[in-house]
Amino acid sequence: MHSEKPKHDFEPKIIAFVCTWCTYAGADLAGTSRMQYPSNVRVLKFPCTGRIDPVFILKAFQQGADGILVSGCHPGDCHYIAGNYHARRRFAVFRKLLEFIGVDLNRIQFSWVSAAEGGKWVEVVTDLTERVRAMGPMVEFKDLVLEEQWSGNLNNPELQAVYEAM
Amino acid sequence: MTQTIDISSYSAITDAIRNEARRILSDSTVSAVIGYTAGRRKGSTQPIVITTADDADQLIFSAACLNDLVVYLTKAKKDVPKGGRIGIVVKGCDLKALVGLLGESQLKRENLYLIGIPCSGVLGSLLKPAAELTTETIASKCCECTDQLPVGCDFVPTVTPTPLPDLEKRYANEIARLEAMNPSERWEFWKEQFSKCIKCYACRQVCPFCFCEQCLCDRNRPQMVEQTPRPLGNTAWHLMRAMHLAGRCAGCGECERVCPMDIPLNLLNRKMAKELKELFNSEAGFEVREAGPLTSYREDDDQSFIR
Repeated sequence: MHSEKPKHDFEPKIIAFVCTWCTYAGADLAGTSRMQYPSNVRVLKFPCTGRIDPVFILKAFQQGADGILVSGCHPGDCHYIAGNYHARRRFAVFRKLLEFIGVDLNRIQFSWVSAAEGGKWVEVVTDLTERVRAMGPMVEFKDLVLEEQWSGNLNNPELQAVYEAM
Repeated sequence: MTQTIDISSYSAITDAIRNEARRILSDSTVSAVIGYTAGRRKGSTQPIVITTADDADQLIFSAACLNDLVVYLTKAKKDVPKGGRIGIVVKGCDLKALVGLLGESQLKRENLYLIGIPCSGVLGSLLKPAAELTTETIASKCCECTDQLPVGCDFVPTVTPTPLPDLEKRYANEIARLEAMNPSERWEFWKEQFSKCIKCYACRQVCPFCFCEQCLCDRNRPQMVEQTPRPLGNTAWHLMRAMHLAGRCAGCGECERVCPMDIPLNLLNRKMAKELKELFNSEAGFEVREAGPLTSYREDDDQSFIR
């Protein structure tokens, strides 16, 4: 018996960058336990949160992501001892940069989900999906894609002079 | 109110640098000295590498000595003679960049002979190199300078720098102005700024910390940053740049000065420096750090933003 799925006008794309040792296993546990969570999330598996470069997040936004989830092992549980500690500092700074640039930080969620926390994974994913759904599509980076031409002013005096001379 | 800044000490500094360069070159302490010399336009300066004591008289120091010469020591620039000790003229801000490179094991202190400058400020740009140094024409970085007197150099002319008058803190004010905006206004601001970018990479060329053999944005398999000068790739490049300099940037402000499109690049760097100071109490200084704030961690770092 499947529960009735509500229909929404907007289905956000959520990209989840997860570490293979904890959160991926946690998401796997959620699956094998038959827990239901939104299918909006696309899971990308990394060796460690320490491997997740901020440019991956930019790339995801450029390619049409509406929300980003970065998730890994709890502090102290890193398979590589300190990868998540480094990631924690990096993302603390990166989110400040994004905020300063004008990205709404509600679209980005960081979390620790261990291999035993299938329930927490469902909770985190559902919350983020619903939050991003309420915010609507991420248009900022998509607008940049649409502006894929030389962005200088085409009717500036110098160019005008060149046109007239031709 | 525009106010002239007293730079009469710069002629004494010039004499002192010349004497010191002559001495260390003639007794073979160093094989070369990197300094400033007069440029072709009246009042302007340009970097010079001198290798003989006779050339020492070419060295000068003036308010137009803007370049951060430390960039010539990095492995990205290979034209400075290798082998032997190298003398270099550094202002306080340049010295912080050099100290950062020492911390990243890019340079060895024993291979350097540092000639520090008790700096009273430099011009904001070389568009009018002969202009008088005033509270208007002074570089933005100098307005927030706390390190006029370099520390830990091998030689510093015995001159007291002019204490800077109470200047408008341009970066701090601009950061505060942007922070007070809402996200979409900030996005519009930066979108306009980044759309000006022509991807000349002058900011990368001039940065002492951009010494990677291959920059991430030059790689195309996989391509992380779009390489053509379009808004999408421009934004990614500037964010990546700010991120790679976070916790390392010494605030020499060269990126902003060389930008032909006048993008306020140092504003991003200053914002990152401010955040790192607040988050991890870490800032660029004269003390060599073994690990920067983003290459080290504490177990009790703030994680209130993580669920």
